[in-house]
Amino acid sequence: MIGPVTSSSTPLRTLSRGQVVRLQFRKHRLAMVSLWVLGLLYLLAAFADFIAPYGESESFFRGAIDRSFAPPTRIHWRDPETGAQTRPFVYNVRSEINLETLQFEFKEDTSTRYPIRFFTQGQPYVPFPINLIPQTWRNTWGFNPTVTLRLFGVDKPATIFLWGADRLGRDVFGRILFGARITLTIGIFAAVLALVVGLVLGAVAGYYGGWLDDLIMRVVEVLSTIPALFLLLALRALFPLDAKSSVVFFVVILILGLIRWGGVARAVRGQVLSLREEDYVMAARGLGASDARIIFRHVLPATASFAIVSFSLLIPGFILTESGLSFLGLGISDPNASWGLMLAVAQEGGMQTFTSRPWMLIPGLFIFITVLAFNFVGDGLRDALDPKARRG
Amino acid sequence: MTQYLIRRVLQVIPTFIGATLLAFIIIQLTPGDFTDRFALDPNADAEQLQRLRENFGLDDPVLVQYFKWMWGIITAGYLGESFTYRAPVTEIIVPLIINSFTLVLISLILTYLLAIPIGIYQAVNQYRLGDQVWSFFAVVGLAIPNFFFILLLIVGVLYLQAPLREIAQGNAWYRPILDFLSYDLRNGLLFPVGGMRTTEIYDSLSWWQQVGDRLWHLILPTLVITTAGLSSLVRVVRGQVLDFLQSDFVRTARAKGLSERVVVYKHVLRNAISPVISGIGTVLPELVTGAGLVEFVYRWPGITPGFVIAIQQKDLYVVMGLLVLSAILLMIGNLISDVLLALVDPRIRYS
Repeated sequence: MIGPVTSSSTPLRTLSRGQVVRLQFRKHRLAMVSLWVLGLLYLLAAFADFIAPYGESESFFRGAIDRSFAPPTRIHWRDPETGAQTRPFVYNVRSEINLETLQFEFKEDTSTRYPIRFFTQGQPYVPFPINLIPQTWRNTWGFNPTVTLRLFGVDKPATIFLWGADRLGRDVFGRILFGARITLTIGIFAAVLALVVGLVLGAVAGYYGGWLDDLIMRVVEVLSTIPALFLLLALRALFPLDAKSSVVFFVVILILGLIRWGGVARAVRGQVLSLREEDYVMAARGLGASDARIIFRHVLPATASFAIVSFSLLIPGFILTESGLSFLGLGISDPNASWGLMLAVAQEGGMQTFTSRPWMLIPGLFIFITVLAFNFVGDGLRDALDPKARRG
Repeated sequence: MTQYLIRRVLQVIPTFIGATLLAFIIIQLTPGDFTDRFALDPNADAEQLQRLRENFGLDDPVLVQYFKWMWGIITAGYLGESFTYRAPVTEIIVPLIINSFTLVLISLILTYLLAIPIGIYQAVNQYRLGDQVWSFFAVVGLAIPNFFFILLLIVGVLYLQAPLREIAQGNAWYRPILDFLSYDLRNGLLFPVGGMRTTEIYDSLSWWQQVGDRLWHLILPTLVITTAGLSSLVRVVRGQVLDFLQSDFVRTARAKGLSERVVVYKHVLRNAISPVISGIGTVLPELVTGAGLVEFVYRWPGITPGFVIAIQQKDLYVVMGLLVLSAILLMIGNLISDVLLALVDPRIRYS
């Protein structure tokens, strides 16, 4: 019989390690809430085309409908004449010059009501998950199904901007969702890259020791000697600064991952140094297992807790760095959206006019929430995986 | 101790060579040879090009070039010339570094002065309200991007501008005080929203007003950088003090009847402080780059804006110079923190 022998009528449950960890994680309330928040953000990002009323680069600028820096559209819930509740509608807006401040302001034109339509039609888009297939492949296969269904929208010439518009009259709400695609995936991919490189090189350094160890640790030291931001910028300069966003996306992942593997490698090396003296590693060696087998089957799995925790804590760092890079104009570029880039665009037109368009700062809030959530999940995972931090 | 110091300094040399070599390779790989650029540029300074060609041996193999470049740095501190500014790189980057380090050093000192008492307070009052409030701030401080934080502060100051201007320009008794304090206050700006000094009037100010003007401009960026540093450091101090509060020698000290004050400050702090001090080495790179985007938003003429501009204009030797100098500064920082650690913690043996 496996497990504790009990004489009582209710047998003791024995939990697997995975079950214990999951149970512990669930007790970390902030981490659970954060997990839901992140889930929601990823869902919003995946279905951005459907949820956003306008396309990523659909702009209302200098044309028949000019919505440069239009404030968030007011949604009316009540009939202005009777005061009774009605289906939500918006008014068309006109830009007028305010004679006191000499600035353009948007005034509502209350002559016609434009009801908010749900499940309406908009610009065509390639739906998720088909849009994950690279465009060039889709083109060669001739497989480009498009959909025009959108969650909500209003008839033109009225427009609906939940969180206002940027200088080119593009919907900030929608672009935040499209930007989430970039910001949220770059962080994960870069963390995977940093983790894989760090784990393998750290394990190799710790397991073999000698000159290989010296070499790898020297490289780590050299990399940590140059400030990460500058290394990032210098490496970024190796690629054309005006490259297409789809190229920049992978370039940034590559650079971020290659800059940050050092910390992982150093920690893993330390663990492997003691792990390789363990009896079970000796046993494996005695049985004639190859070095690669010992490293990948016996040594690295023992560092799994560390890997999981550092993975979740690497992501927020990468998100911050990516948004910083885009903020400097060296990351994802227009017309594609990224939260950092949107904040940089917010500065266009000078600081002094900032107070007239505070909605341009909302992307910063999203960076904040995302990083916060990842930090909490990381903390929760660390506590859950640490036997010393068990909660009753 | 002397022996330890010498060995520690010698260890720096291979790292330095590695870092500069890496910087050099990156620059070599950067597409677009600058000589091509000069050939196309009608304003090209043929003399400067010739000088660079001679000094750096641009026709030699890459490794020879590296040694020539290195030799120039070691013997004459010659880092090359800037194409954009038509001046030696040193002349351009030294002011940038001075500007950045005023900001970073002030913030670093503030961070340490604040983090240690706050961390101790949190540990002593573990899980009480005060602890949780500070923990909350730390969590927020860690998650908010520096460049977003400074943007928020600037927007906040701008929001206050209109009401404050009305108050400030009223015919009140305090007007002379405002005039005396700051140029910006008169316009309703609580703090300056960018730059190192008020350029419009700086030259007409007396020296102590100039000092005041500069300090006034330091406040917002310092606040942002200090918060960033504090958030991570306070956590470390708190954890350390908590660890030691549960140790045997603390129980002994309490049993002897020592006051809690003496126990915390004499027994615990002495032990808890060493990783905090060695942390200076890890905080420093964060500060050099952390100041980075803040400098950019605040139009502070520091290292990072200089670096970004140099990269955009492919001003290769300025990029190189900044890479090398920041690497040197980081190595010095690590060295200092190691030495401090050795001084503070008698358990560290120098062999």
